[in-house]
Amino acid sequence: MGTLIMTPESEVLDTSSRYTTDWKEIPGAKRRKKKIKRSAVAAIFVVVAALVFILYKGLSSALVYFYTAQQAVADKTHLGTSTFRMEGVVVPGTVQPTASGVNFSIRFDHTVVPVVEIGAPPQLFQPSVPVVVVGHFSSNASNVFLSDQIMVKHSANYVAAHPSRIKDPGGAS
Amino acid sequence: MARKSWVALVGAFALVTVGVTYVMGLWITPPDVFQGNLVRLIYVHPAVAWVAYLAYGVTSLSSLAYLWKKTRNYKWDLLAASSAEVGVVFTALTLITGSIWGRPTWGVWWTWDARLTTTALLLVLYLGYLALRRVSEDREQRAKRSAVAALIAFIDVPIVHQSVVWWKTLHQSATVFNADLNPKIHGEMAWTLLLGFLSFTVVYVWMVIKRYDIAKAQFKLEDQTIERAIKERVGTV
Repeated sequence: MGTLIMTPESEVLDTSSRYTTDWKEIPGAKRRKKKIKRSAVAAIFVVVAALVFILYKGLSSALVYFYTAQQAVADKTHLGTSTFRMEGVVVPGTVQPTASGVNFSIRFDHTVVPVVEIGAPPQLFQPSVPVVVVGHFSSNASNVFLSDQIMVKHSANYVAAHPSRIKDPGGAS
Repeated sequence: MARKSWVALVGAFALVTVGVTYVMGLWITPPDVFQGNLVRLIYVHPAVAWVAYLAYGVTSLSSLAYLWKKTRNYKWDLLAASSAEVGVVFTALTLITGSIWGRPTWGVWWTWDARLTTTALLLVLYLGYLALRRVSEDREQRAKRSAVAALIAFIDVPIVHQSVVWWKTLHQSATVFNADLNPKIHGEMAWTLLLGFLSFTVVYVWMVIKRYDIAKAQFKLEDQTIERAIKERVGTV
């Protein structure tokens, strides 16, 4: 206790060093900063992981989202019985509900492909709409496409269901 | 007019236009010939997607304004951050409303086509931007880094918009902003669609003003905390 002797110089030095450490330290600031940093780095890590996942999905799926029925038939030797998405318009008169789903044909230009769907079609599924079916050809020799999912590809046109009734409630037209 | 009442007026206008869109969209407009009542989501979904584009556009312009030495001011950085935050909310809304619309019309909640994938990418990119803003405590460093990041992230916006043209997608192409600028929607449906765009844009403006005010207050508070800490240690400055 009493043995502590300070020269003027050391006292000055001591004071300044105390000030410099105190100066920058707001109570709790250092810990808060560290905490923010860690959570921010964790957040960025999650974001980068999500980016990689989406890019992988994008490259593997989005770029060639579907083959048209025509392309699929033309490329059949290459596609084999691998799973892919195929687009075409439901041919009117071919839709036949079955016990396990529905049978129908889709057409793109002049190429018609018969589809056997296992599972319930979406509510907007009907003749003459463009659909994307997910599945594969039943065998290398056959043109029948086995599908387990139908997606309805609706257009960007919107038309009132009863235009004349809306415009003219009196029904003059 | 005082700023506060002006902002309140914007808020009230947003509320009224959203209310009118709601009534028009749910009761006044007719069902679609193909989609029936499902078409009513068109008054919300494209509008919130447009607001997300707009928000990121504002973020990019403010980031440019910060990076350009002649206009460099922290205000631009705060505006960029505020707009990006609102943009992320609207991108999430776009994905949610799109998913809700996709389930009954397409038959799926989600599919990895180009439009959906690039939109998901957009959300993650700007979440990354917001995360990046939390890394650096140094204001200048934070502002510069995030401004550059915002400009890089914006590259995805035109890609999202053009995705339905450039690639084969399940998602339909543009109804209003299509190549020949000929809206493929008519009558009350078209007017309500435009009203939706207007109302959600006003909502965006109001949200950004509010968020910007908070950001500015936070900025000032940081300054005051530092000043107070200095005062406590050395007395008066």
